Amino acid sequence: MSAPDRPSGSEGVNRPRQDQALLAVAGLRVSYGRIEAVRGVDLEVGAGEFVGLIGSNGAGKTSLMRAISGVLKPAAGQVRFDGAETTGLASHRMVARGLAMVPEGRMVFADQSVRDNLLLGSFTQLRRDPAGAVAEQDRVLALFPRLRERLDQEAGTLSGGEQQMLAIARGLLSRPRLLVIDELSLGLAPLVLDMLFPVLSELNRQGLSILLVEQMASYALAVTHRTYVMENGRVLFDGPSAELANDPRVMDAYLGRRAS
Amino acid sequence: MEAIIQYLLTGLSVGSVYAMVGLGFYVMWSAAKAVNFNFGDIFMLGAVLAVVLLDLGAPLLLAAPAAVLAAAMVAAAIERGFVRPFNREANAIGWMLTTIAVGTMLESATTALFSSNPRALPSPLAEHPIRLGGAGIYPQELLLPVALVAVAFGLEFFYRRTLTGRAMRAVAYNRVAAGLVGIDADRITLLAFFIAGLLGALAGLLIGPVIQASSTMGAVIGLKGFLVAIIAGIANARGVLVCGVLYGVAEKFIEGYLSTAARDAIGFTLMVLLLLLFPQGLFGKAEFKKV
Repeated sequence: MSAPDRPSGSEGVNRPRQDQALLAVAGLRVSYGRIEAVRGVDLEVGAGEFVGLIGSNGAGKTSLMRAISGVLKPAAGQVRFDGAETTGLASHRMVARGLAMVPEGRMVFADQSVRDNLLLGSFTQLRRDPAGAVAEQDRVLALFPRLRERLDQEAGTLSGGEQQMLAIARGLLSRPRLLVIDELSLGLAPLVLDMLFPVLSELNRQGLSILLVEQMASYALAVTHRTYVMENGRVLFDGPSAELANDPRVMDAYLGRRAS
Repeated sequence: MEAIIQYLLTGLSVGSVYAMVGLGFYVMWSAAKAVNFNFGDIFMLGAVLAVVLLDLGAPLLLAAPAAVLAAAMVAAAIERGFVRPFNREANAIGWMLTTIAVGTMLESATTALFSSNPRALPSPLAEHPIRLGGAGIYPQELLLPVALVAVAFGLEFFYRRTLTGRAMRAVAYNRVAAGLVGIDADRITLLAFFIAGLLGALAGLLIGPVIQASSTMGAVIGLKGFLVAIIAGIANARGVLVCGVLYGVAEKFIEGYLSTAARDAIGFTLMVLLLLLFPQGLFGKAEFKKV
């Protein structure tokens, strides 16, 4: 696997400020009408960090991710990305700034070919740097050789695992600095997960910051550096993933029930 | 025999108009899950603005494209001002009211400023009919099926071969996912209404010399274009095209064998019956749901 060179355009002399997080969320609230799904969350992802977010179904994880990535506007609180305030910015603007999200349910463009899905992943890059976009396609396809075999197939005909690969590939093609993945494991077989998680670890080693939302706590704790535990719209606690894996609070609530 | 050829040819011509207007509805619907209900006014503006520009002394070859372009800009402006703000929620219906309101205003303004009487839109192709297998038809009328074929291939190329076209399909399939790859779905929707406007205005411009330009020329044709799109299943472009042409031909046969008065009564009855039998449209299938 060749090391993809991350976009260097904006990495001037002023950065990186070591103490400053790449993503900093403060007091974030998300409501649907009268129902509050996220009730004041603080969360940080440092440059180069691999961060997990675990919690049971309905804890507010997806709502939090949607507010961070600009799919929906938060009711209150602040999102800062790459040193600038981005609260309430639309998702296509967040992508342009370097935050890409692989959404829950994958949402590949099922009626278009794998090739066209990848092309759309390069949407922002094709305008900025067409040659670089083509090179990036090659790099991403090297990560997921299965997709190269299926370039002309309609994305809707792919298996769940292949669709997840396509969704991740599509997210990577915008050349993000932070990749947010919402429910990587949803509906996927363990065999597929054993293939996908190492790819994420490798991407992280190459410098990509990742925020991974996962219901399968055991997987998330195994690959991430640090993990947040969320319940009822709030972050209960966070800490180094290796420690949380042995934390009784986590073992009772998430590992005992889910792992094997 | 001559009569049959006559009905087929004129039916093909008017059917192409319905198909083009119907395709306009298809383009709007797929991008926005909303339409300009008074889309017939964009059709009308294509012809009326051409007459106005000719009045001002512009040559036909300039007036024609300028009229289509201006009408398409009006179509885009309607999206920005009267569809987008009223289509924010998932099942919003405000745009139904607002597009009908702005359409009615447009029609009244045209009556006041342009003329309350139909006016000729001169075209060198609508001066002398030609004979084809015993039937008489203006070359202008034959332009419509030609334009329809060109429009169909143009749309196909746009949707399947250009990045912007693929982005429009992405927005149509899943607006959230489109945003997450960096596509500005609002801008794509604006563009969709502009393209739909081009189709509608082109149809109006081309049929104008045959039926004359007037402020009300679009009302019924816009409605028929919408019905044709619904009957076909609005998410299927090929179906819309086929239904539009067939409906035009059917109309001419009803006109010929029964009467002009019977045309719309029977035509609309047919539409209602078809919709009863095929609630999803003839070529429609239940739209993809989120997996």
